[in-house]
Amino acid sequence: MRRSPVGLRIAVLCYIGVLIGVPLIFVFQQAFIHGFGAFWTALRDQQMDHAIFLTALVALVAVPLNVLFGVGASLWIVRHPSRFTRVLDTIIDVPLAISPIIVGLVLELVYAQGGWFGSLLAKLGWQVMFSFPGIVMASIFVSLPLVSRQVIPLLRELGDHQEQTASTLGASPLRIFFTITLRSITWATAYGVSLTLARVIGEYGAVLIVSGNIALVTQTLTLDIGANFDNFNSYQGFVGAVLLAMASIVLLLILGVARHRERKRNEYLA
Amino acid sequence: MLAAPLKETPIAQAKQPPSTGRQLRRVNRRGRRGAAKGLAVTYLSLLVLIPLAALVTNAFNHGLGSFWRAVTQTESIDALRLTLVCAFIASAINAVAGLATAWVLVRDRFVGQGILNAIIDLPFALPTVVAGVIFYTLYGPLSPFHVNITGTWIGITVAIMFVTLPFTVRSVQPVLESLTFNAESAASTLGASPVRVFRTITLPALMPALLTGTGLAFARAIGEYGSVVFISNNLPYRSEVASSYIYSLATSGQTNSAASVAVALLVIALVLLIVFNVTAQRLARNRA
Repeated sequence: MRRSPVGLRIAVLCYIGVLIGVPLIFVFQQAFIHGFGAFWTALRDQQMDHAIFLTALVALVAVPLNVLFGVGASLWIVRHPSRFTRVLDTIIDVPLAISPIIVGLVLELVYAQGGWFGSLLAKLGWQVMFSFPGIVMASIFVSLPLVSRQVIPLLRELGDHQEQTASTLGASPLRIFFTITLRSITWATAYGVSLTLARVIGEYGAVLIVSGNIALVTQTLTLDIGANFDNFNSYQGFVGAVLLAMASIVLLLILGVARHRERKRNEYLA
Repeated sequence: MLAAPLKETPIAQAKQPPSTGRQLRRVNRRGRRGAAKGLAVTYLSLLVLIPLAALVTNAFNHGLGSFWRAVTQTESIDALRLTLVCAFIASAINAVAGLATAWVLVRDRFVGQGILNAIIDLPFALPTVVAGVIFYTLYGPLSPFHVNITGTWIGITVAIMFVTLPFTVRSVQPVLESLTFNAESAASTLGASPVRVFRTITLPALMPALLTGTGLAFARAIGEYGSVVFISNNLPYRSEVASSYIYSLATSGQTNSAASVAVALLVIALVLLIVFNVTAQRLARNRA
């Protein structure tokens, strides 16, 4: 093991410390600057509670849908390859290269009044933009590839001889899927789910456009934080921000566990 | 795209009607699989493909001239230029810093390394708006350090540096981990200085991964909004990034102009991603 120069270690620690460490400590310091009592009162702010509720509801709908799609599409792309799936494989990754603002804009162009499906939706009486379905769609769009990007490489690496063996031994397809396929991709999926959840909870730009940002109606927690800052109510904003920061730290811990398990499983297989 | 499940319907393809129970089950399974595929394609179309098609249509529905006029407006050019300059500086700094961080994480051993490794991912997990308000308060008019960089390219660049840091680290780290010491040891036994060993042996091996990571960081930086919008102050012609300009166009009813600038921004991002990836692949192939 060749050691790296001590200077380099110190430089890196300083860089990460200033860029990530200081902001992280700062958000906690700001949220608790007036003590726990004030923090507790701020937590019971009606507008913020509604925003938390809405964010949770959006995540509850968007995350399972994307996990279902992500796992299904991965199986399709890897196990039933065709010219079509090669195109699909590329298209799935497109949302990652698109600015959140553009995501909001394109959804508006199709689903808002005057958009492509605007009159049809109006006739049906479905309000998509500036309401719950629009927020869910924007959240799904921005987090679409996060599960499949974890699962596809793993499925490719694993191959399908275990499934074939099970099938030769007479196991039903459903049993093969649940006991072999699903079990082998559990941790990769868990990793993808945490990334999806983090992205959905934290989305700002796309949701800002499609939701209309109406307090107590379509304001998610990120929008509530932004609104509090725009209204010079930065303490309330920091209370919301620290909640999201804590959520992302918990998700990071889950990600760490998932990656560790994944590596252990790979060592076992190798 | 709704035709996809119909095409997969096995009855249409079966040469003779299925007779045994086993055959029937297989037909059912293929039918279900076809339905699932159709559902996946519909999901992708409704959410991604149709909206993107609408974007391109809206950008060009008054002709190429109006598209070009919208993109070459002074405000648009200024916003695009500022975005690219800040994204370039931030990605360049992070290419170097990310390489150094990956190096320290893989080749060094010290107390607290696990925490460093975990904290690198924070910008991926932390909502952009949270990063935005933190940086605005840390380096804004009420800064505890008395540093005010709001409304400047420096502020925008710092926010982008935070958001894109993990990309380079996480793409270089696994390659560095899998690198064996043979060539490096041989070179240093033959009297090469550590700097020369790094420059001629280690760095070329890491280059493809470094380029891929930097490309991803650049693409992300170009579209960044939540972390930048607070610290930038959004002054037109001066500190307004492209996504912010698109937002102001979209919310003031200038949908076609918004779509035009968005198409320009997307094309720039895609071209850059392709250039970075092709260069990385070529480098990797030359080494193999």
